[in-house]
Amino acid sequence: MVKVENITKIFRTGIVETNVLKGVSFSVGEGEFVAIMAGSGTGKSTLLNILGCLLKSTSGSYMLDGIDVETLDDDRLSEIRNKKVGFVFQSFNLLEGVSATENVLLPLVYAPHYPADAAERAYRALESVGLKDRVNYKPSELSGGQQQRVAIARALINDPAMILADEPTGNLDSDSSKEIMNLIRSLHGKGRTVILVTHDVTVARHADRIVFLKDGRVDREEKVTK
Amino acid sequence: MKFSNIAKVSLKAVMKHKMRAFLIILAIVVGIATLTVVVCLAGGADKKIKESMDNFGSHAVSIHSGGGAFRGPSSASDAIFTKKDLADIENIDGVSFISPFQAQLDMPIKYGNKFTTSWVFGVMPNWKDAWKRGVTKGRFISDDDIEVLAKNCAVGTTVVKELFGDTNPIGKDILVGNVYFNVVGILEKKGQSPVGTDFDNLIVTPFTTASRRLMNQPLYIGNARAIIDDPSEAKRIAGEIREILRRNRKLAETEEDDFKIRTFEGVAKMVKSISKTMSIFFLLVAFISPLVGGVVLMNIMLIAVSERKREIGLRRAMGAKKKQIVFQFLVESVILTFSGGLLGALIGVGIAIWISLSGKPISISWQPFAIAFIFSTLIGLFFGIYPAKKAANIDPARALA
Repeated sequence: MVKVENITKIFRTGIVETNVLKGVSFSVGEGEFVAIMAGSGTGKSTLLNILGCLLKSTSGSYMLDGIDVETLDDDRLSEIRNKKVGFVFQSFNLLEGVSATENVLLPLVYAPHYPADAAERAYRALESVGLKDRVNYKPSELSGGQQQRVAIARALINDPAMILADEPTGNLDSDSSKEIMNLIRSLHGKGRTVILVTHDVTVARHADRIVFLKDGRVDREEKVTK
Repeated sequence: MKFSNIAKVSLKAVMKHKMRAFLIILAIVVGIATLTVVVCLAGGADKKIKESMDNFGSHAVSIHSGGGAFRGPSSASDAIFTKKDLADIENIDGVSFISPFQAQLDMPIKYGNKFTTSWVFGVMPNWKDAWKRGVTKGRFISDDDIEVLAKNCAVGTTVVKELFGDTNPIGKDILVGNVYFNVVGILEKKGQSPVGTDFDNLIVTPFTTASRRLMNQPLYIGNARAIIDDPSEAKRIAGEIREILRRNRKLAETEEDDFKIRTFEGVAKMVKSISKTMSIFFLLVAFISPLVGGVVLMNIMLIAVSERKREIGLRRAMGAKKKQIVFQFLVESVILTFSGGLLGALIGVGIAIWISLSGKPISISWQPFAIAFIFSTLIGLFFGIYPAKKAANIDPARALA
């Protein structure tokens, strides 16, 4: 499903070059649940942006679902994000002032064909994250955990190849965190590929496998024993 | 389908940011309203000029004896027109009739203890057809008046205002020069000429009375106005009149004309070009103010884009292409400027109507609306494209960080 080889990323600010990623290689199989673990400032956000096709690497190769992402132009990358990637962010990133349903519908606005049953699909997605009673609530009327559920429903609406979660519990209390992690686990249980980026080992341990990142490289990989 | 969905996003964004929308629309409204008012006024002035040309000139060729003033009596009293001249001219193909008249500029007029000065004309009854001008009250000079040298007159509204105020002048006697005339009618109001002459400051008297009693030149025919059927023939007819007059006066080849022939063409051309220059000048000035609105739009949209970086980043992450972001922000700009244009055009027309209440001519047609809509849309596109491109080029990875 995901195969990255020797990915590097160099940021240039004026004459200063920052080597954030120095050759990252790993792969994630279809239906697998992998956590990428690293401390802050080790390039994990950069890696996540590259995996999510929001950022191009400086060198190396990235295959996503059989597509060589590194060769694509901006429009094609947008299509890949739309079709194959479901983002879940630490800070939820919902549109303020519009209902949960409309937030969930957002990726469909940019889909090649706006489906006739869009509203029904949004309802089912919200139902699957346990929010069928909250479809018309606005983000400001929902708790943090509920907002993250809306975000997860949004990530699911286009039936993506991979769910990409960036510290999904970083802004939540422990009870909500548990709920969200259970929800993500259940997605994985239904056969979704999930990649989770975190610095929190208890969160990472929900995954099947953990990839440890250190100093811009993969330090080691470890299977999680339940 | 897809683009209509994005357009809906734009519309919602406009509705959500009400203060922003209000400021942009206000800026556009001011500009477009100014433009609309100027277009209405310029159109009105143009229409007025065309009207007065139709009234006063395009169907007429006027002849004046001697080498004197453009209008009014000549100093050369021996170069008068004869009845034969007039009859010959009337026989030219294309001339419908000819109306001789005498004129005296700025004669002193008196009624009771009120004084004024006015143009005094000695006219035939067909004067009212030649000038397309009758009376609004009372009657015009009649054939009987001509016959009996009646001391009757019809007066213009300026004279009425000067001498009588609000009271009814009909039946009153006024002193013209040193002869008393009885007011029998009030002439239709004509306003000002394109060059500012007051066409209502005049008194018309019977031709015969004027010749003998007023100007003391019994045989004198100083001026005449020939009415022609087709304005485009003015030049040909003027040429034929010249030939007839030269022949009747037995002028040798080497002698100059001792009369003047005027068609309205020359004056019309000059007036038209002045009015066009003024219109262009005002339009240029008026076109600038919507541009200021455009700059305001660009400013506010740029602020909006930087405020909404996160939203833009999110949309990009969800699969929005750059061109779709451009489209979203352009549509927002155009919705705002178009609303401003619509409102501005309506307000502008309202102001134009209000101005017209004070007597200024205006012209309201589809043009101000077409200009307002097209111009406001162009402003939305032109000044909206830069902020929209800026929005599209936001780095989504950074915006979401």
